[in-house]
Amino acid sequence: MRHETDRLRALNVPQRVQVELDEQRRPRVVMREPGNVKRVESLGENWRMDDEWWRQPIVRRYVEVVLEGGGRVVLFEDLITGEWFVQT
Amino acid sequence: MIRTSHLTSDSAACCWIPLFALRCETARRPELASQSCALLAPDHPRPPRVWQVSALARHAGVKPGMTVSQAIGLCPSLKLCEPDPVHYDERFAQLLTALAGVCPVVEPVELGRVYVGTDGLERLYGSVEQIIEAIKRGTRNAERGTETESSLACSAFPLPRSAFRVGWGRGKFVAWVAANRARPGEAVIVRPGEEGRFLASQPLGVLPLDPDTYRRLRQLGIKTLGALAALPEDAVVSQFGRPGRQLWQLAAGRISEPVVGRVAPEPIIAALTFFSPVAGRELLELALDHLIVRALKDPRRSGWRVQVMRARAELEQGASWLVETRLKEPSASRERLLAPLKTQLERSPPAGAVERLAVEFTGFAPGTTELQLFARDANAAARAGRRRALQSAAEEIKLRIKRPMLYHVIAVQPWSRLPERRYALIDYET
Repeated sequence: MRHETDRLRALNVPQRVQVELDEQRRPRVVMREPGNVKRVESLGENWRMDDEWWRQPIVRRYVEVVLEGGGRVVLFEDLITGEWFVQT
Repeated sequence: MIRTSHLTSDSAACCWIPLFALRCETARRPELASQSCALLAPDHPRPPRVWQVSALARHAGVKPGMTVSQAIGLCPSLKLCEPDPVHYDERFAQLLTALAGVCPVVEPVELGRVYVGTDGLERLYGSVEQIIEAIKRGTRNAERGTETESSLACSAFPLPRSAFRVGWGRGKFVAWVAANRARPGEAVIVRPGEEGRFLASQPLGVLPLDPDTYRRLRQLGIKTLGALAALPEDAVVSQFGRPGRQLWQLAAGRISEPVVGRVAPEPIIAALTFFSPVAGRELLELALDHLIVRALKDPRRSGWRVQVMRARAELEQGASWLVETRLKEPSASRERLLAPLKTQLERSPPAGAVERLAVEFTGFAPGTTELQLFARDANAAARAGRRRALQSAAEEIKLRIKRPMLYHVIAVQPWSRLPERRYALIDYET
């Protein structure tokens, strides 16, 4: 008997980043990895998302930012753990 | 050569229903029985050609292989029917399943023609005549799907006359020639030792000849297998090459090919592990669909139709879920396999969120090689060509970098608010 299992690999998985905030808790600097540090040029929309409250609650604060050099990324803060992630 | 005794058989019964597809069509549409009708060839869309021709149309001069305009020119009242290969194949699969109930050594050749290995059946049924009766009895119900009932229902016969012809002999060729000589509903038996005498009087047309070889043999004045076998083997080989040797040996009764049955494949399992437990029915249906497609692609499934399948799931907190379904009509169609599982999923859904889902094909019914014939149309060939090219590229990549680097993107929860839940990658199957 043959057993075959495929594991699904999720697309667009959030990646952990270090974010430096200003006094209003808005992202000011984003560090994806050591040596790859980008200043935030401008802020776009922000929104909050609450989901899966019945299982393991997911609470995120999303912020759309434009980094120096023109790169547009979407960041979110996990409001339960306080960690920041990038997700396009 | 090592043979597994229960899968091969030297003695063969050739069961033959000529014009099987046309018979299936007239059984479904009895009004065709009294008309000149013909089926269009499934593998010749342009220009459309005639495939199987009814007796009335044949009398008017219509022959298989003619273009539609030629056929209509000869027989203006000709009723042309679009072929329905899936229906014919299902009917034939029923016949094969019925034959497999009589003897496990069953070898389908084409729609309507199948060999049954009869070695050892005498202990079960008795003499050769009784074995043939057992075959006829066993297939009677399946055969009804190829008969027109209305025209004869009110006659002295409660059932229409069988079209089933049976030939019995040592080896497939002798059995086939015997079936060819048999009248509808009857059998011709060629007992061991009588093969040479029986074959000698048969016309050349029973040999697997291409038209050119047939013409050349006729020009040489050879009309029977006996006349061909009377020639020196070397002379036939020098004229017709390797195929000539095979023809000579068949004509002389020197070749006795055994019937070779097939072992039903082991259960085929396709499984999927979700990256987060899933409770939504739509997503589970999507996953079942994906798993059915994967299981159908398993090379061991080739030539077999699925009759019994199961869906099972591992749930959160260690619970599980299992449903089994037996298809009335064995099928290799994704939609037909998915439908009963969807119904079961709706009726008795899993009691919790699913972590791992699997589809198992556990019961099979033989298919036919004829399906490959039907897949010969240009589009199917092009699709198959592209798929082959992609598969070979994927295999090359896997070979070179030791990792599968080709993936399918599949929609997992496209409606999810969490972006990482919407789409996922899954290995591209080679």
